[in-house]
Amino acid sequence: MLIEQLSYSNRWRRVHPAAKSVFALCGMVAAYLTHSSVVAFMMALLLIAVTCLGAGIPLVSYVRVCAAPLLFLLVSGATLAVSVGWQDGFPWLCLESSQAQLFAASHVAGRSLVCLAALLFLALTTPLNDLIALLRRIGFPAVLTDLMTLCYRTLFVFVEATHDITTAQASRLGYTTPRLALRSLGIMVASLTVQIWQRSLALHQAALSRANDGPLCFLPPGYPAVAGSLFVSILAGCALIALAMVRI
Amino acid sequence: MTTSSNTTILELQEVGYRYPDGSRGLDQCSISFERGMRTAVLGLNGAGKTTLFLQCNGVLRPQTGEVLIDGTPLNYDRQGLRNLRSRIGLVFQNPDAQLFSASVREDVSFGPLNLGLPIEVVRDRVEQSLAAVGMSEYADRPVHAMSYGQKKRVCIAGVLAMAPEVLILDEPMSGLDAAMQTELAVVLEQLHNNGMTIIIATHDIDFAYQWADRISVLEAGRCSSTWHATELPQVIEQLKRFGIGVPKVAELHRHLVDAGITTAGDRPPRSHRQLLHRLAALRTVQL
Repeated sequence: MLIEQLSYSNRWRRVHPAAKSVFALCGMVAAYLTHSSVVAFMMALLLIAVTCLGAGIPLVSYVRVCAAPLLFLLVSGATLAVSVGWQDGFPWLCLESSQAQLFAASHVAGRSLVCLAALLFLALTTPLNDLIALLRRIGFPAVLTDLMTLCYRTLFVFVEATHDITTAQASRLGYTTPRLALRSLGIMVASLTVQIWQRSLALHQAALSRANDGPLCFLPPGYPAVAGSLFVSILAGCALIALAMVRI
Repeated sequence: MTTSSNTTILELQEVGYRYPDGSRGLDQCSISFERGMRTAVLGLNGAGKTTLFLQCNGVLRPQTGEVLIDGTPLNYDRQGLRNLRSRIGLVFQNPDAQLFSASVREDVSFGPLNLGLPIEVVRDRVEQSLAAVGMSEYADRPVHAMSYGQKKRVCIAGVLAMAPEVLILDEPMSGLDAAMQTELAVVLEQLHNNGMTIIIATHDIDFAYQWADRISVLEAGRCSSTWHATELPQVIEQLKRFGIGVPKVAELHRHLVDAGITTAGDRPPRSHRQLLHRLAALRTVQL
């Protein structure tokens, strides 16, 4: 929900999603091309700075959003840097590491960090709806974009329904013991299953009543200065790729 | 009971419909709606109001009887349904069951684009219909960040953008607070003044009496009675039998007339405000 809120309230909300996607894509290409972990970390910092200073995403919110993937990255990096080996004496198991392992770990971590920063740049500055509209515009299969649209919309409907049911259950002591909690959870899942079925029927009827008999059609959103923002993003993306080629 | 006339725009003749699970939807239901009029359809839960509206919009097809638009039976082929749905707009009770896109502007554009209108026309219609329901400033906000009342307005805008001749609203006032109900009533009044035929389903007989030109009562899947709203004070005993309540203003006014406090007059008051004005005028005369 935090990503959702930030994507609608950032400074670059009205910049064309194609421009932001091109920049994020260039960031990921740059991550693939770079051979130096130092350069990779520099690029990641640059992308974070662009996201926070350029798009106006608060640093605290940025840290909250990337905390979970960073933790995952830390664990992955640690397992790459250190391996478990055998030794003769007690306790038989030992931790080993080598220069090559440390290099590989820092290299992978650096690249992953750039990819993460590039993806977060896109996710935090562009609402998913704008991205789906972009996919629709570039000719992505209609069945997939329709599914994305409906899933994205119904996600919030069911979050609300889940919240309402949980609150109603909690108000009647539904979660006071682990056993009751498990029972309440089961009842909620059953109730949501029925609701999903009913709502899918209602959505189908609503689509019919609005003269729909094929793919879902929506007005493409309009953005100011499209050519200019695309030019700037391509230029910035190329600069990132050029930076990736630097060997330190 | 009012009969159909040459101004009838939509009519159901002896329509029967049962859902696949066997539950009754409509049972030999005959009802007509007059062009340019405001009709309130009253009935208890399960009386068949939603089924009636789905029949009017061609979402459901009668198993017996027929639905007529401008005196002609509905054509259920693809083009016929598209024409029908461009003329009859339906706003469902639950906005979350009607909004497809998470973007307000996108969702409002859904209907007119389905009609195959050019993009520029759709763009204009979207802006006009959002302005008509007072939601222009929310056009770029996500649907899930809106209140229930705002979502309802977006739903109405989505149907208005299809420029229908008839607007059908299923329980439009349910879930709205008093201020939102007043705002919605203003929107409905503006649409009526522009010549739109409006049909609403409601449980609120006080609102129906105040707002509607005609009132129909649905009972067990059929239309039991239809009156002009002005006839309601004369049929209070019948209304009590239907269990849908009686208009409090009409009942109070009748008691005031019986007590000799006020006179029946040509036009009995239909709203609380009109009754207060009537009493205030009486006080002025006595002074």
